[in-house]
Amino acid sequence: MEAIKFEKVYFSYEKPLDDPFLESAPSRDAFSLDGIDFSINEGEFVAVLGHNGSGKSTLARLVNGLLTPESGKITVFGMENTEENLFEIRKNVGIVFQNPDNQMVASIVEDDVAFGPENIGIEREEIGRRIGFALSAVGMEKYRLSMPNRLSGGQKQRIAIAGALALKPRVLILDESTAMLDPRGRKEVMDVVLRLNKQEKMTVLLITHFPEEAVLADRAIVLSKGKIVLQGKPQDVLCDEEKIEKYGLRLPKATRICRELTRRGISMPDCLNEKEFAKNFVQKLNDGGTCAVNDEFDEKTLEKEKIGAGIVCKNLKFTYNPSSPFETHALENVDLEIPSGSFFGIIGHTGSGKSTFVQHLNGLIKLPTAEKKYKEKKNSPKVDTVLTVGEFDLTKKDTNFNALRKKVGMVFQYPEQQLFAETVFDDVAFGLKNFLPEISAEETENLVRQALETVGLDYERIKGVSPFELSGGQKRRVAIAGVIVTKPEILVLDEPAAGLDPVGKEEIMRLLHSLHSSWCKTVVVVSHDMDEIAENCDRVAVFGGGRVVAKGITQEFFSLEKVAEEAGLDLPFTAKASKELSLLGVNVSSDLTARGFVRSLVEFVKRNSRGWQNA
Amino acid sequence: MREVAFGQYYPADSFAHKLDPRTKILFLICYIIGVFITKNFYGLAVCTLLFALAVLLSKVPLRTLVKSVKAVLFLLVFTAVLNLFFRKDGEVIFNWAFITVTKEGVYSTIFLGARLFLLVLSSSLLTLTTTPVSLTDGIESLLSPLKKIKFPVHELALVMSIALRFIPILTDETARIMNAQKSRGADFESGSLIKKVKAVIPVLIPLLVSSFRRADELGDAMDARCYSGSAVRTKYKKLTYSKRDLLAMIAVTLFLVGVILLKIYFPAVF
Repeated sequence: MEAIKFEKVYFSYEKPLDDPFLESAPSRDAFSLDGIDFSINEGEFVAVLGHNGSGKSTLARLVNGLLTPESGKITVFGMENTEENLFEIRKNVGIVFQNPDNQMVASIVEDDVAFGPENIGIEREEIGRRIGFALSAVGMEKYRLSMPNRLSGGQKQRIAIAGALALKPRVLILDESTAMLDPRGRKEVMDVVLRLNKQEKMTVLLITHFPEEAVLADRAIVLSKGKIVLQGKPQDVLCDEEKIEKYGLRLPKATRICRELTRRGISMPDCLNEKEFAKNFVQKLNDGGTCAVNDEFDEKTLEKEKIGAGIVCKNLKFTYNPSSPFETHALENVDLEIPSGSFFGIIGHTGSGKSTFVQHLNGLIKLPTAEKKYKEKKNSPKVDTVLTVGEFDLTKKDTNFNALRKKVGMVFQYPEQQLFAETVFDDVAFGLKNFLPEISAEETENLVRQALETVGLDYERIKGVSPFELSGGQKRRVAIAGVIVTKPEILVLDEPAAGLDPVGKEEIMRLLHSLHSSWCKTVVVVSHDMDEIAENCDRVAVFGGGRVVAKGITQEFFSLEKVAEEAGLDLPFTAKASKELSLLGVNVSSDLTARGFVRSLVEFVKRNSRGWQNA
Repeated sequence: MREVAFGQYYPADSFAHKLDPRTKILFLICYIIGVFITKNFYGLAVCTLLFALAVLLSKVPLRTLVKSVKAVLFLLVFTAVLNLFFRKDGEVIFNWAFITVTKEGVYSTIFLGARLFLLVLSSSLLTLTTTPVSLTDGIESLLSPLKKIKFPVHELALVMSIALRFIPILTDETARIMNAQKSRGADFESGSLIKKVKAVIPVLIPLLVSSFRRADELGDAMDARCYSGSAVRTKYKKLTYSKRDLLAMIAVTLFLVGVILLKIYFPAVF
């Protein structure tokens, strides 16, 4: 039976009026649907992919009647989505949204799960049973009486799934439900979804822009500009490089490496995970007959001049709410040096202390000895904490924190949420007015122009626009411009690519590299995405449980498997693949970047090809 | 994640913590009535005694209790002193320039101070021993008879519950936005009042924008889970009274009777 069926569905949001700028920018108009036809069978697992603004979330909202189509017909289990059927459809279609915080009504887990059944008038005892069943389906029975605020992102999303399950739906829609989670949370949620689909035969509609998640589905659909442009088996759809790039998506990492090897003469079939990859590679070696391999790599190791002390931190401790029932040790003995001139990666899952650490770097969190109130007592214990940023000693209370903040620019998570001014110009100029009140209007304009152009925006066109009218990606660029405008020497970014689609992520990382080479001497990126860090940073520190559990140069960072496991992180693909290869007897040593990995494999083949051919 | 000690709930396993929230609310109301009926020192002693008993049964350390009312202590002392100077009737015991202190003034100040102090402390004891969630449940349950006169009890409870849910989230968000603006050189601490108010704008606007976005998303999520606020709605959580609650209600009734008797049979001091 068809669970969901769309026939010639059209939908568009109201167009914003009279704004010439918005016509060319991806405006809300871009989220509309332009004649969609598709159906999902009962028990099927379908992934919908698409760049930001492709209309994929609109699709989800149309299914359960949060939005009504302009024309066309939508049926859910044979019920047309009319006003009378609305409740029956919503009972059958559970939906989990992106932001884990914005979909819970109650402050106790079981009350929140009860919300749906209460709404449709289920008896008390039955609600109790349903809470039990829903929580056990997502593996959260233990948290029945917990407060959502104390749960991790992945746990919150599992509660949101439980909230949907309590209504006993036959379809589960996940509308980018993993976009805001760290890798651990993402895996938790995907495990639950897969189990529901495979064991409970739940129909699943997964909206995502992670190709790694779409791979798990039975069928993948790609949306672009409100139209279905590709459809088929996930392997086929995701590996169609030409088309997928055209529609603003990216190949899965494994496939990208296969393609790169093929281009270099080692023809590898497409694959989607490290096991397959290792198997295929060894197979290839055994087959022999390797032809001329292209082993020319452009040397672009840009060695930046590394002078100045950078950041030095020893024995840094920090406790939230000390000596209260809510006491939490966020940092216990952090030892870390960030050399000046580096592109530094700090990696760790949520709650590992990485955010607390970076907030020390510009004095947002002051050491107790730097507080105004601090008085040295004769018999107070000796303080052995060291924290210096360039010439600033942050353990001293006479430190000029204002000057420090000018030196250390800090971009927070989702920085677009801090925009406030009437125009983009005013917002970007905010930092300048605070730090350099003495400079002239021309100078201000000049600096704002430079900053906006550096982040890739058209100054003349954007300066007078309200920041709230921009698209998500543009807002983030404006927010970054607002930090770099004062030319900080050190730029710290907390999850700069969070919530962006693959193309947006690439663009942001490219921007950071260009900032690093021309604008800010040192760049520190905080992230929970191993691949992102492995690809981009020259040095890394892994945070776990309020400590630095490992640190070093990315190239040498091969033995981090155990560390990553300890810190609850996913390994980058390159590390996973070389681990699989070594299990099959192929030992390549390489750094963690895709480029370095391909290079090592090419060199390996070159070294061994004759031997293999002879054999 | 920073923990917000909202509503200053003090987690402990005690008699008072285990009481039904409705009992505690009713108890507090009766107690406050009792405190205000009291007009002599015997009564005041009884009030203090009952309060001391309640504190003992709550296992809340005295330090925590006093700390929780520190903020209003100044206001309390200020009101009491004002009362002392403005009461002009009765036997004068001190007179200088425009300041006159009378015996009645001294007594009534002691009573006023003690009353306000007990009032604030006992209310604080309620929030220290009751989570905001169960307090909301208690209020909803106590107000439920008002449904008959079309008072939107359920909506009110839902609003309170959502507010509770989002207070810690918005607190975190405020801290994050403030940190972001501080990093861009914003100064929230120094300067004149006007400057301080102006400094808040870059925090307030993003916070408002995000609250609207959150409200929008929450609305969708509630719709998706079949919310309509209709009459078919059932309620999962049910409060139940136990022996403990009966005991507490008997105690507070005896207290009220005692205070009234003391008022009738012993003279008021002022």
